[in-house]
Amino acid sequence: MNLSLRLERPMPGQLGRATSMLATVVLVLAALPIITMIVMSFSASDTLQFPPQGYSFQWYRAAWHTFASPDASDVLSMGQALMTSLTVAGSTMLIATALSIPAAYALNRFNFPGKAFVEQFISLPLVYPLVILGLSLLLVFNWLPADLGVFRLIIAHVILALPFTVKNCAASIAAIGPEFEEAAYMLGARPLRALVDIVLPLMRPGILAGMLFAFIVSFNEFTVTFFLYDINTMTLPVWLYSRTVSSLDPTVFSFAVFIVLIDFALIWVLERLVGDEGVAL
Amino acid sequence: MNHLVLEDISKRFGSACALDHIDLVIPQGKLVCFLGPSGCGKTTLLRIIAGLETPSGGNLSLDGRDLTQVPANQRDFGMVFQSLALFPHMTVAGNIAYPLRLRGVSKIEQARRVAELLELIQLPHMAQRPVAQLSGGQRQRVAIARAIASEPKILLLDEPLSALDAKLREAMQVEIRLLQQRLGITTIMVTHDQREAMTMADVIVVMEQGRIAQIGAPLDIYRDPASEFVADFIGLGNILAATHNGQDEVSLPGGHTIKVSAAPQTAGKAMRLLIRPEDICVTYGAAAQGPNRLPGTITFIRDVGASLEATIDCAGFTVTAATTQRETPGLLVGMPVFAELPARACKLIEARQ
Repeated sequence: MNLSLRLERPMPGQLGRATSMLATVVLVLAALPIITMIVMSFSASDTLQFPPQGYSFQWYRAAWHTFASPDASDVLSMGQALMTSLTVAGSTMLIATALSIPAAYALNRFNFPGKAFVEQFISLPLVYPLVILGLSLLLVFNWLPADLGVFRLIIAHVILALPFTVKNCAASIAAIGPEFEEAAYMLGARPLRALVDIVLPLMRPGILAGMLFAFIVSFNEFTVTFFLYDINTMTLPVWLYSRTVSSLDPTVFSFAVFIVLIDFALIWVLERLVGDEGVAL
Repeated sequence: MNHLVLEDISKRFGSACALDHIDLVIPQGKLVCFLGPSGCGKTTLLRIIAGLETPSGGNLSLDGRDLTQVPANQRDFGMVFQSLALFPHMTVAGNIAYPLRLRGVSKIEQARRVAELLELIQLPHMAQRPVAQLSGGQRQRVAIARAIASEPKILLLDEPLSALDAKLREAMQVEIRLLQQRLGITTIMVTHDQREAMTMADVIVVMEQGRIAQIGAPLDIYRDPASEFVADFIGLGNILAATHNGQDEVSLPGGHTIKVSAAPQTAGKAMRLLIRPEDICVTYGAAAQGPNRLPGTITFIRDVGASLEATIDCAGFTVTAATTQRETPGLLVGMPVFAELPARACKLIEARQ
């Protein structure tokens, strides 16, 4: 008998015909917005017509012009918006991670009343309507006697980033058995020393994954930011949006391509840093 | 000399009682083995000695100094964990030097001591290897080197060999025992493997349901178990229901009667007769019937080359006899034989409740 006859049925893990087609459809759907954006950024026409009549680099030139020598008519230059975005994303990343490490440790290692509630509460921003979150925060911030400036955005972004940072940190702690700390105690380490010498280095992949997630979440955040920004604290997504409503300017596609490239680069770094050790979403 | 003294140690987890008033003295320089089935409390007792678990009651002292309230990191005990718990982000040298680093030992002294320990565990030139690249046996040795690096007062081993395959485990048992004797370090080991305990220990503490069932030298426990539980747990044994007829005679199931020597005073209690497989003599053929010789039929033979075990059905009960090909050539399943249960090897023990 010919052995190869048996191999005609797909092995587990091999795709059948229908499955392959379905997978292709899903992939195309997922990539569609990005493909549209890239195609539009090379449009030769002055309108947002899709698909474009011809292709050119004119919007990249215009985008570069806007970036390099901003118009006086622009409320805020793209450079300033980019700086605000980077400041907010960087601060969000550091603050969310600093809060998440002890939170994840406590959630994993200790039992305390209300633990399940705390776990649910941290995940709340994932399901909470962003418009309502933005509105609520706006009400609270306006009620406060002091003007928080850029911290309005940082606080909002930290809330949105926490589910990602806490879950990644928690996943990495869960993978570290308590015997590593106990071994350190037995060798003479105080609990805090064991935490710094042993637990934190072993948590590194989870911490780094959480940090990058926090950065990406903050850097792309629009809805909540839209409620909270003011003239001095406009982030890049809000700046892009303001250009589309004022003039339907196709340069936004060129900018967006850059932002997506940055995101891709960050995700690539993430994969490299964390590898197969797993990223929790 | 009394070294580590445990007085009235108890441990409760909620309503469950893991340790029930344990009194124990660990002598200096000896290897003591806590042996028992899983859930008998042996690991909990080790963790209380380590300071990783707080006893619900009782005291623990070392050379007269009370240790009960001293945290694990100040007891200066070395411990090898079941999972070894080598730090994966450190090299072999980093792992072994960690306790020295914590004690503020100079870099040069650390390096000297690491080299010395690597020599001791026969892994020189491995200092800069990441621990992930080591084999099971090498990790084992590194874990031991790390545990003894700061010259602890006591070495605790929590089923340290359970992750190794059978052959390597036997080799490591001898290696650890030799190392322990060379260093003269008081060592407490937890294991559920009675062969491992008999190979390594000076003293075996057999535990059953949070209590100590028997303490003694390995062979004393093997030869003279204090209860049916100990007899059953240590070694292979033939444990038969027995009725004590008086002075030196017991009757076994199936109406057999045999003589025993030195029977205890056991009026009216349910008894068991223990005889080890290697004490049973198998004879056949022309051999005449004699005292304590019971006729039977071989129902199974386990011949593994080095030894031979024959299961013999004696009408009423079965016994397993250990012999060798050389001693008893030509044994076959179905063969009629005599199993001799020598009086001096028969031990009467009380049946468990």
